[in-house]
Amino acid sequence: MTKKELTYQKALDELEFIVKKIEQNEPDVDELNDMVARAVELVKYCKTKLKVTEEKLKNNLEALD
Amino acid sequence: MMEHLSLYDLNIKIKDCLKVNLEESYWVVAEIGEIRVNQKGHCYLELVEKADDKIIAQNRAVIWSYTFRNLSGWFESLTGQTLKPGLKILSNVIVTYHEVYGLSLNIRDIDATYTIGERAKKRLEILKKLKEDGVLDMNKQIPLPLVPQRIAVIASSTSAGYLDFMSQLENNTLNYQFRISHYQAIMQGNEAERSIIEALLEIHREIEHYDILVIIRGGGATLDLECFDGYELASHVAQFPVPIITGIGHERDETITDMVAHTSLKTPTAVAEFLISGCRDFEGQINNLYTRIIDQVLDIFKERKGHLAYLSKHLKYITENTLKGQALGLNILGKNINNAANRRIQVMETALAGYIRAIKLNTERYLTLQNKDLMNLAKSIELVDPKKILKRGYSITRSKGKIIKSAGDLRQGDIIESVFYDGKKESKIL
Repeated sequence: MTKKELTYQKALDELEFIVKKIEQNEPDVDELNDMVARAVELVKYCKTKLKVTEEKLKNNLEALD
Repeated sequence: MMEHLSLYDLNIKIKDCLKVNLEESYWVVAEIGEIRVNQKGHCYLELVEKADDKIIAQNRAVIWSYTFRNLSGWFESLTGQTLKPGLKILSNVIVTYHEVYGLSLNIRDIDATYTIGERAKKRLEILKKLKEDGVLDMNKQIPLPLVPQRIAVIASSTSAGYLDFMSQLENNTLNYQFRISHYQAIMQGNEAERSIIEALLEIHREIEHYDILVIIRGGGATLDLECFDGYELASHVAQFPVPIITGIGHERDETITDMVAHTSLKTPTAVAEFLISGCRDFEGQINNLYTRIIDQVLDIFKERKGHLAYLSKHLKYITENTLKGQALGLNILGKNINNAANRRIQVMETALAGYIRAIKLNTERYLTLQNKDLMNLAKSIELVDPKKILKRGYSITRSKGKIIKSAGDLRQGDIIESVFYDGKKESKIL
């Protein structure tokens, strides 16, 4: 799954998949690292898309001045 | 001259006749044909009755200002509609006849429940039609977007409701970003239905840009919501390809547009809150999943750490145990070796002592034997001692330093040396 194709739905599905995988089987430590890294990436993607970033907010406020 | 009456007398007669023959008042069903309120606040109406769109009865009517003020407000609050042409009402009327102004109906009361019932009947017909069209629940069946961020809004840009809506979305404390596109429409009166449908069609042409459509209205004083009960608008709303959220600002029963929309809310701010909560729910879902991942991972690490600690403890224990065991073994082995060595040494010592004794014994025996031999030898040596032999009369003859054993070795004139037991004498061969 590349970053370009990512959507909210895909991010959500993948996060659910990771939770299921971690909760059901015991992955080894290397796998865990990869999974956590991917989860962080997915959450970051969603939050960035969901929220006005601080810089953006700042820019908007500056535009008001 | 024929018997006759003056017009006035006639009208008085009519007036008397009516007074005698009619009840004090009647409840009459009629449609409002025309209605206007003059400067004094008196309301003048034309009441009509139609059959197949043709007027079959018509009367003037009036509601005096003091009655009208109360009645109209109460009627609006109950029915959500103003008194206006086309509306069917059940009113309590007194038939009045004035010599100059003629016949008029003085409306004293209106039964709002009749109008509500009429409206309900009309609504039921529209709903039935929408159902027959198979579109009634179409918009409701579209799943809501996971995150409603791209929003088309149909509203009047000047309405307080629209401004509230925008302000609430743009200033949401959770910093969610929304992309809102506004489509202007007339939101009340006769033009409203057509205007809203046009906005819907315009949005439909750019539908790929939107997750959700919002129809809002509010802040106006009027409660006239009839435009949202129209079949055409309802049909367009029902068949719209993205979910429609309505917030058309009323406390009363829903309009048909509300009923066919995906979600109907009371006010524009409630719609804004609904959209924000959609984002919040999604963020919550994401956060929850993330927390579950992290918790699980921490648990796994903790468990493994615990297991490692146990293993290392166990390893230490078994190592120490093994070492102890081996030390004990070594000790025993050492002792055993010691014992064995001691035993061996004893054996060896015994053997050695034996050897020593044997050697001693043998040596003595040997020495004794040697002594005997030596004595015999000495005797033998005594026997062959040259001095003793020379004493017995033998002599040794040497010539030129060599012992002469044969007479043939000597020539005439050779000088020989004869050795005797007590000295030497030289002589010359003749």
